[in-house]
Amino acid sequence: MVTELVLTAAFPLQSGLVPRGTRAFVFESIFEVFLLLGTLVGVVVVGYMLYNAYKYRSGSGNGHIDDGDRLVLGELPSGSGGGRKLFTSFFMSMVIVVSLVSWTYLTLLYVEEGPADDESLDVDVEGYQFGWRFTYPNGHTTDGVLRVPADRPVQLTITTADVFHNFGVTELRVKSDAIPGQETETWFTADEPGTYTAQCYELCGAGHSYMSAEVIVMPPDEYEAWYANTTADSETADSATANESSLRPAVVP
Amino acid sequence: MTDASPERDAAADGGHEVAHDDHGHDFPGTGSIKRWFVTTNHKDVGILYIVTSLFFLVLGGVLAWLMRIQLFAPRGLGEGILAPVAYNQAVSAHGLLMVFWFLSPFAFGFANYVVPLQLGAKDLAFPRLNALSYWLYLFSGILFGVSFFQGGTFSGGWTMYAPLNVPTFTPDVGASTAVLALVLFVASVTVSSVNFLTTMHRMRAEGLTLRNLPLFSWTILLTAWMMLFAFAALLAALLVLSSDRLLGTTYFAMESPAGALLWTHLFWFFGHPEVYIVFFPALGVMAEVFQTFTGRRIVGRKWFILAMVLVAIQSFAVWMHHMFLTSINLQVKTLFMITTIGISLPFDLMVFALIYTMLKGKIRFTTPFLFVFGALLLFIIGGITGVFLGAVVLDYEFRGTYWVVAHFHYVMVGGVTALVGGLYYWFPKMTGRMYDEFLGKLHFAVYFVGFNLLYFPLFVAWETPRRVFDYAPELAPWHQLATVGGFVLGLSFLIMFYNLFKSAFVGDPAPDNPWEYATTAEWAVSSPPPLENFDGTPTYRNGHLEFLDTGEVAPTEGRSDGPTGAAVSDGGVTASATTAVTADAELPTAEVTEVEGPSHASIWPFVLSAGAFLVLLGLSPLQDAAFPEGMVGAAYATTTVAGGVVTLGSLVAMGLEPFHGPVFEEGEAWPFAGIDNGKVGMWIFLASDVVLFGGFLGAYVFTRVAFGWTGWEPIPSDPIPGLVNTYILLTSSFTVVLALVAAEKKHKWGLVTSLGATFVLGIGFLVNKGLEWQHLFHEGLWLSTNVRASTFFLTTGLHAAHVIAGLVIALYLTARAWRGAYLEDSRSVEYFGLYWHFVDIVWLFLFPLFYIL
Repeated sequence: MVTELVLTAAFPLQSGLVPRGTRAFVFESIFEVFLLLGTLVGVVVVGYMLYNAYKYRSGSGNGHIDDGDRLVLGELPSGSGGGRKLFTSFFMSMVIVVSLVSWTYLTLLYVEEGPADDESLDVDVEGYQFGWRFTYPNGHTTDGVLRVPADRPVQLTITTADVFHNFGVTELRVKSDAIPGQETETWFTADEPGTYTAQCYELCGAGHSYMSAEVIVMPPDEYEAWYANTTADSETADSATANESSLRPAVVP
Repeated sequence: MTDASPERDAAADGGHEVAHDDHGHDFPGTGSIKRWFVTTNHKDVGILYIVTSLFFLVLGGVLAWLMRIQLFAPRGLGEGILAPVAYNQAVSAHGLLMVFWFLSPFAFGFANYVVPLQLGAKDLAFPRLNALSYWLYLFSGILFGVSFFQGGTFSGGWTMYAPLNVPTFTPDVGASTAVLALVLFVASVTVSSVNFLTTMHRMRAEGLTLRNLPLFSWTILLTAWMMLFAFAALLAALLVLSSDRLLGTTYFAMESPAGALLWTHLFWFFGHPEVYIVFFPALGVMAEVFQTFTGRRIVGRKWFILAMVLVAIQSFAVWMHHMFLTSINLQVKTLFMITTIGISLPFDLMVFALIYTMLKGKIRFTTPFLFVFGALLLFIIGGITGVFLGAVVLDYEFRGTYWVVAHFHYVMVGGVTALVGGLYYWFPKMTGRMYDEFLGKLHFAVYFVGFNLLYFPLFVAWETPRRVFDYAPELAPWHQLATVGGFVLGLSFLIMFYNLFKSAFVGDPAPDNPWEYATTAEWAVSSPPPLENFDGTPTYRNGHLEFLDTGEVAPTEGRSDGPTGAAVSDGGVTASATTAVTADAELPTAEVTEVEGPSHASIWPFVLSAGAFLVLLGLSPLQDAAFPEGMVGAAYATTTVAGGVVTLGSLVAMGLEPFHGPVFEEGEAWPFAGIDNGKVGMWIFLASDVVLFGGFLGAYVFTRVAFGWTGWEPIPSDPIPGLVNTYILLTSSFTVVLALVAAEKKHKWGLVTSLGATFVLGIGFLVNKGLEWQHLFHEGLWLSTNVRASTFFLTTGLHAAHVIAGLVIALYLTARAWRGAYLEDSRSVEYFGLYWHFVDIVWLFLFPLFYIL
């Protein structure tokens, strides 16, 4: 028991204390804790504030500011006492914030580490005004549709052909900037087959609102069957939203 | 200019009567239109700022309404009231107008009005520069307005990410105009920061040490310091962007090695301090109003101040938390996560200090207190939701969503809430009349409901991507609530406008101090205060505010090198007419004469700003450094030239105008005791110029590293012209020193010769540089050739613009010296020398970086 505790403290990454799993799981676990504590702190602080504002309202007789040390026009500014209470509260808030964020830092390390190379599927993502292209390890390229197997980590390498974009699939909790001349990496694992929507999260021009792509999560065997039939060519599976030519700027580089 | 000015009337009589200055110009009463064009009085300027900023609030608010209408339902292509580009323009203009043209100027309206009163000063150190700040601000806003009619304004978001911000992707002329409008706005901010910092450090009443400064003044002091440096960084970013748009340099082009990332660094280095720049004044209002209406001094005052100082410093070390999803590595992310959490903690302390101040108090729920109390509540919610963003793993998912939108609106519009409280708080002081308390409270109730109805649902609908109007249908109810809230919030201001407008004319007369328990000095004078603020000299020598008759003022001991009570010359601003970067150089040029009353009127700040407006408007259609063909191009070119003539002419007129800054007896002046205002102003300005060049050099180094440091061949392959120029500039620094020595020895021809020699050397520098550039152009190298050429031409070009500005001043000084000026008072020569040495030192950095390495 004691050993277990010590181990948990020493190697929190190895224990259940730090959420590990899909990006969605990791996010939800942390978000939940933050929401809970945030609400709690908010309610306590705001409640305390309202309570005292009521308690010491003028005419309540609870305040005693006129006992000797009354504020006088033209006095040099100074402070009231109450420093101990101030520091106690400050210290408590500091402990909450620092421990919360430190806790999430351990998850950040886990997220940054990413999946092991040998188990993940690597896909290159390229944003353009206004759509997304995906290139698979065999050179197969699709436009507007990303097909991935369920339960297998997908490693994305993201860049852009023109302006700054941001590739994100909100339901799968994956997101990364698409920066001209740079590559960023991120990963996700989807555990539910289904169709999700990828969107652009950085203002990129007229078609920004419609710059989306479909992310189709397939059962692994179906995916393998599909992938075996692909070759190093491109397939323009124009989703309804991609490529609104009227949204392109007048001048295209 | 003749130095023998007749005595003038001291206009210390409330400002409603007509006073005369020595030129025979009237200083009209507040009922006169003319007054508002010529005034340099800090209280008038403060009112102008407030009224103008409220106008921009309405403009930005209407744009927000358009967006909220569009967002009422998810819209397919072509649905809704706004076309996609129009929506992007509304988003961008809303952000820019609210952050730049409303929030800060609204706060600085109060700062203008209240800070000199709290300091015990009769005006700001440089009243004409203060008027100039205002007019530059107004004209920058007008320029932004014009951009809507030039094919559409900027549509790349208020963050203006590269490369969407270059003409390849946003080709409208209006987009360039919007960027130039921001440049003009930054000029206004820089002039204002220099002025406030000089005033606040140099012109405090005796006994009013920095430690004793009221909290509102403290927040303005820290804000001004942050503005000085942060806006200089923004200026660097904007000048590079303007150059990319107008001259064709390629810093931010898609092909640039790291242009997009460079922009994010430059922008957020400014952008994060900007958050505190807009929030700090609101914090100051909160602190003052809390103390007044609880009847208690703030708890932990010195910790409160310390917390703010820490935040102000640290605000320059958190910018990369806006970039957690870019290609920065884990170590950098960790560092910036730590600094970000670190900067949030002082705010916890400030919030608790405000809350505990209420305890044992006697809280009066007047309109100002309600707004400020509401603001604190909103800020707590904004703060808690901000901690979510500090956790990097959560930030990864919140990036670019409505969580961010909701969070920063809670913080920033929370700040606005406090400032609205400030408006009610100081309204009786400014107008001499009370507002209607019932309508004030009604405004608060509607405002507070509208606010939360607008912004809280956005937390719930956080999965909506920012700046997108086609969102998941299940989020629609939340967006509909928000739209309703947006209208409630916006319309609540009608109550305020009606209340304040009516009360300004027919409200009950306000006493000097309508608020029991107010302590700061503005409440110790009449409402509104007299033109020169105080009858007698304010002092805190006995621990509380007293007014001394002139005779009682103790002589200051060796503090000032000028005579006690001497009129302080106002600095005229001299700017580089060629680049129209109007804050380029400042040089106090007016002469100190006898002890005289201060001046209050000058038309030149207005004219100068109008000239700068015309220059920038004229330049807006440039592409690749060429005007468009035909009549339109000719009209723009003519506008540029006309604007240049007006700008230069008004600069000279301003230099020659006899104008006397406020008379002040030196009180507390830490840490600049014994240095006169002009010199302090010059040093502070140069500090911001250091950051400007720092931004340019940083951009160069960043681009070069991304390109590959060693693979980068320096563009001027021949270093000899640069070397020659180094010697020329060093020699000219020497002649400037000689000029000052000659002036101090009252040696007229020595002064003229040395100044003339400086001028000739400067011309030599430019000619040599011109030949060098000519040679490079012949080799086929142009600004747009490649990024190496861009960085070389633009950075050394900025330096050349500084040289040209210096030469304009040198020419002016030489001409005046020829007629016998500066022998009695050599300060103008000294200030010019400071500027000139700085320009030389910059070259000592540029030369090795661009020619040798």
